[in-house]
Amino acid sequence: MADSGAQSSRYGPVQVHFITNSPDIELPEGKRQLLVPTNVRRYGLSQILNSESMLDTPAPIPFDFLINGTFLRTTLEEYLTTNGLSSETTLNLQYVRSLIPPLFEASFEHDDWVSCVDILSGSSRAGTWDGNEVAAGQERILSGSYDGLLRVWNKSGQTIATSTASSAGGHTVSIKSAKFISPTQIASSSLDRTIRVWKYNEAEDHFSGDLKPVLELYGHKGGIESIDVHGPSNRILSASTDGSIGLWTTLKNSAPAADSTFLTSGPTAKRRKLTTSTSTPQRGPLSMLSSHTAPVTAAIFNPLDSTVAYSASQDHTIRTFDLTTSTLVDTRTTSHPLLSLTALPGISTQLLAAGTSARHITLLDSRISAQSTQVMTLRGHTNKIVSICHDPKSNYGLVSGSHDGTCRVWDLRSSRTGTKDEGNGLVGEAVYVVERDSQKGGKRPVGGEGIKVFGVAWDKDVGIVSGGEDKMVQVNRGRGVTRPDNP
Amino acid sequence: MAPSTMDRKRKAVTRDVTELSDVESEAEFGDGLLEGILSQSEDSENESDENEDSDEAEDEEDLDELEDLGSDEIPSEESEDDVEDQNGGLVKSNGKNSRLSDLVHRQAQTKEEKEDKPNYTVTTDANGGERYVYEEIDPVYDSDDSDAPVTTNTVGNIPLTFYDSYPHIGYDINGKKLMRPAKGEALDALLDSIDIPKGWTGLTDPATGKPLNLSQDELEILKRIQTNEMPEEGYDPYPATVEYFTGIEEIMPLSAAPEPKRRFLPSKHEAKRIMKIVRAIREGRILPYKPPEEREDEEEEVHYDIWQDEQPRPDHVMNIPAPKAPPPGYDLSYNPPPEYLPSKSEKQAWDNTDPEDREKEYLPTTHDSLRKVPAYDKFIKERFERSLDLYLAPRVRKNRLNIDPASLLPKLPKPEELKPFPTVCSTLFRGHEGRVRSLAIDPLGVWLASGGDDGTVRVWELLTGRQLWSANIGDEEAVNVVRWRPGRDAVILSAAAGEDIYLLVPPVVDPETETASRDLLDAGFGYATNATQALTANGQKKEPVAKWTRPGFRLEDEGVLIKITVRTTVKVISWHRRGDFFSTVSPTAQKSAVAIHTLSKHLTQIPFRRLPGIPQTVQFHPSRPLFFVATQRTIRSYDLQKQELVKIIQPGARWISSFDIHPGGDNLIVGSYDRRLLWHDLDLSTRPYKTMRFHSKAIRAVKYHKGGFPLFADASDDGSLQIFHGKVVSDMMENATIVPVKVLKGHKVKSALGVMDIDWHPREPWCVSAGADGTCRLWM
Repeated sequence: MADSGAQSSRYGPVQVHFITNSPDIELPEGKRQLLVPTNVRRYGLSQILNSESMLDTPAPIPFDFLINGTFLRTTLEEYLTTNGLSSETTLNLQYVRSLIPPLFEASFEHDDWVSCVDILSGSSRAGTWDGNEVAAGQERILSGSYDGLLRVWNKSGQTIATSTASSAGGHTVSIKSAKFISPTQIASSSLDRTIRVWKYNEAEDHFSGDLKPVLELYGHKGGIESIDVHGPSNRILSASTDGSIGLWTTLKNSAPAADSTFLTSGPTAKRRKLTTSTSTPQRGPLSMLSSHTAPVTAAIFNPLDSTVAYSASQDHTIRTFDLTTSTLVDTRTTSHPLLSLTALPGISTQLLAAGTSARHITLLDSRISAQSTQVMTLRGHTNKIVSICHDPKSNYGLVSGSHDGTCRVWDLRSSRTGTKDEGNGLVGEAVYVVERDSQKGGKRPVGGEGIKVFGVAWDKDVGIVSGGEDKMVQVNRGRGVTRPDNP
Repeated sequence: MAPSTMDRKRKAVTRDVTELSDVESEAEFGDGLLEGILSQSEDSENESDENEDSDEAEDEEDLDELEDLGSDEIPSEESEDDVEDQNGGLVKSNGKNSRLSDLVHRQAQTKEEKEDKPNYTVTTDANGGERYVYEEIDPVYDSDDSDAPVTTNTVGNIPLTFYDSYPHIGYDINGKKLMRPAKGEALDALLDSIDIPKGWTGLTDPATGKPLNLSQDELEILKRIQTNEMPEEGYDPYPATVEYFTGIEEIMPLSAAPEPKRRFLPSKHEAKRIMKIVRAIREGRILPYKPPEEREDEEEEVHYDIWQDEQPRPDHVMNIPAPKAPPPGYDLSYNPPPEYLPSKSEKQAWDNTDPEDREKEYLPTTHDSLRKVPAYDKFIKERFERSLDLYLAPRVRKNRLNIDPASLLPKLPKPEELKPFPTVCSTLFRGHEGRVRSLAIDPLGVWLASGGDDGTVRVWELLTGRQLWSANIGDEEAVNVVRWRPGRDAVILSAAAGEDIYLLVPPVVDPETETASRDLLDAGFGYATNATQALTANGQKKEPVAKWTRPGFRLEDEGVLIKITVRTTVKVISWHRRGDFFSTVSPTAQKSAVAIHTLSKHLTQIPFRRLPGIPQTVQFHPSRPLFFVATQRTIRSYDLQKQELVKIIQPGARWISSFDIHPGGDNLIVGSYDRRLLWHDLDLSTRPYKTMRFHSKAIRAVKYHKGGFPLFADASDDGSLQIFHGKVVSDMMENATIVPVKVLKGHKVKSALGVMDIDWHPREPWCVSAGADGTCRLWM
């Protein structure tokens, strides 16, 4: 009894100062200072902000609170004690709109494993480049599958277009990567060592369309694991298992002719080729960058500067290339094979997040000295991380898809100091875990068998789209107001 | 002997007699024997006669006579000898011993003579009974006439003490007094008196029975006593008295005089002296106390235990007894106050310490009442110990081993420090029906090839687990082994199903490499015909050991390009590092069990005509032209250039299942069906450097990581893989460090088979395993 009395006496009020970066939810000047009891958590603070005397929002907005750039995950009391602060200090609480848990919306069924997904919407890259207009409600989801076909879906799960089969100029084997270049152009790469550029046409009613191969790009000796596109310059960047990075153009006229050794396909392929009608023009690469010593798993353009490319490889390195001169600029060596790569331009121009085979995401900033390249690690996945996409709404958000059958949503501000076993440094933990709907409730199988996620994409309008071994494209999206996560 | 006999002439005759008898006895040895028998019978007769005719007086007399003769004879002789001895002893003492021995000898012989020769004749007396008539004794002139019957005393059967007061002891037959003979003692006395020793008294000491001799001092004392003097010399009977106490007795010792006045007045003199001291103290000339000296702390103070051997003594002011032991305190009470009771942790600590280390021998315990106090629990034990102490029983004191058990373990680095190594199953490769028997990762590290009981060879995308290609080559037979050809210039997969070895080019590669690979395979067709011709040219129609053919259109379409048919089932394929040679093992074949195939010439050779045992597996050395062949128990290494046996390695396993050579080339791991994993240092010994038995079932496969990581792994039938850290240092003096780092479990055991094969990724610390449950697994 006496103890609880002492406890309650310790929950004296602490002065907080609410600040925010979003002007639409900014508090009036006089209301920013407030005395709050120290035993409240995020939910309590969010309720205080939503109350009539404060913001007086028609519907409550869930808020997250940042103190010194990290999320408040405990009570204020615990924060004060762990940081050794007295309750007389004024806390600067930055409030942001809370990351809404991505709830399952829909699954689109495929015939075979889904290797990659991409989204076309009014806010996506392909939808914004060059003044392209994508009407609301006309968002499209592109999926590439191991059966060698590309499919374009609308948000309600209807297939609008399917690429032609190999006999009609399609990929002969599994597609590994596909991207929208523009609302009417798609690029795809495959294990058949080619990149194909497709013309995508939709009918007037937007319920049917067709995909026609426009260009075949030859030049890689191994399967092409990943491509990245840059619409305004019509460039494609490809990463191949033969250890080379290819730079291509989608323009038929400016592309160099393909090397004949790649065209005369092998004896077995030749037999199949006899039946195909090869009317698609074949072109070669603008340049081939062969500096990696192991299969390259990802290559991306710098989102702010399309003349700079980054590549991640199984030889543990991330390399930076200057595409105008086709030269290697920088090599950053990590300690694990890298399987995926994305850029986080919102925080820094050169901050990269790479998924490793060692089950974590490494954040690298090449501007920081070569000794401490690793800024932060994000831990939580239990298998290889093969796909990463950044949050379209936040500079600090990430989503990653892994062979353990989950997508995890990360916020870089939610971090802690790692243990010695984790190599010290900052360690981030997942904010939300998106399970496969096909495996809902069940125990995750060993090695992610049957539920591996191969590709993930995140769009402001559509949400998190992921495809995997369960032959599904799964759409997850945060909706409405969430229940308190920590009541 | 001779001089002594010459000295004693008296004995000469008897000596001669004995000598004669000796001669006789020697000459008639046989007679002597007979005589012995006879004499015995006669003796017994004599005895019986004595018993029968005890009444006859004559006989008795005769016997008495005989007895007398015998009895007198011997003592007289003895006495004479004694005298003689004494005489001789005075003259010659050196001959004494020999003479004594002679004497004993002679006596024995004379006795024998008497018994042997009866000195009587038997006649009939007046009553017609037997009468012994003895021969007349004819004494020699100078003989010792001791046998003469001079001693016959006629006093009859009366006690001789009657004559004690007389000088005679009786009367002879003529009535003359028989004078008391001189006794030995008297003779001795006489002889002693001839020269009287000092102090001789002639008295016999009644205490010792010896002659009483007196020393000079005693004689002096006797002399003084005789003259009525004080026996002790220099004794003063009247010394001068020393008066310690006064002899005057005081009647009134205390004075009644009043005390003088000065006793009551303070002494001025003393006051003066005190003032002097006080003044000196005030002026500081005298220091009232000494400042304590700085004593050296190091000085050891010696303490003595004065009560060490204390005896109880009567109470006395000078005797300080040892302080008593403290009386029992509260904690010894049967119901101590609660603060004296031990807490649980204290109790535990007390229990954990050894009895000799405990501070107290007891734990305070509480009982409600005195009657609830139990009996002393150590009573029996203490009694027993006490009994042992009394019995002086040595008891062994238990010596505690103060060794930290952790220090006995070998110092191995922690597995966490040896990262990276595979820890979890990352990808499953499901598709084979039945067991997967073999798998291999291609030299680029992109594809995984596997072959199994369903007769198919499959190629998978390593990271995703996607099956890219499959070919059914076995039809009915299981694919026993799949191996990639080393080298990056071409992608060629070799697989063996039944008696056929297939060389495949999976259509997953780019056209350029595929063409190169096909060219490589097809290049040997020209040579093949030459080879067969060469074989048939030597007259005998020899079957070629292997046939290199095309497998037929169906398989050729799938990418299977060459089929090599040998005589028996091929179980093992092992490639040379350059990719031109590969060796196969078909254990059931007699002579052609091990074959080496040359890819560029389509040539198959049998290097061994005769093998010591059934070969299990073969390996090419990673850098030198050596070829290792494992039979069931040994591994032999052959030099391919010199064509000779280099080394025989004996792992000590009963049945080797597999082995692998370290990429450095100096170390070897061997796995065996008797569950052992053995590490060999080829430079060190033919015996294993380390033997590890961690699996509960047979080990099927062992493999080194070939891409720079110091790792190796084994696969066992118990469904688990074990990953080891095995670091080989280039320093010859240092042994390899082998640390087991991880057990990978996941494969299910099906029909007593677990993991069938294992392979490492060429660059990364990833390994793949083929399970009998139909799956392959990638561990990273």
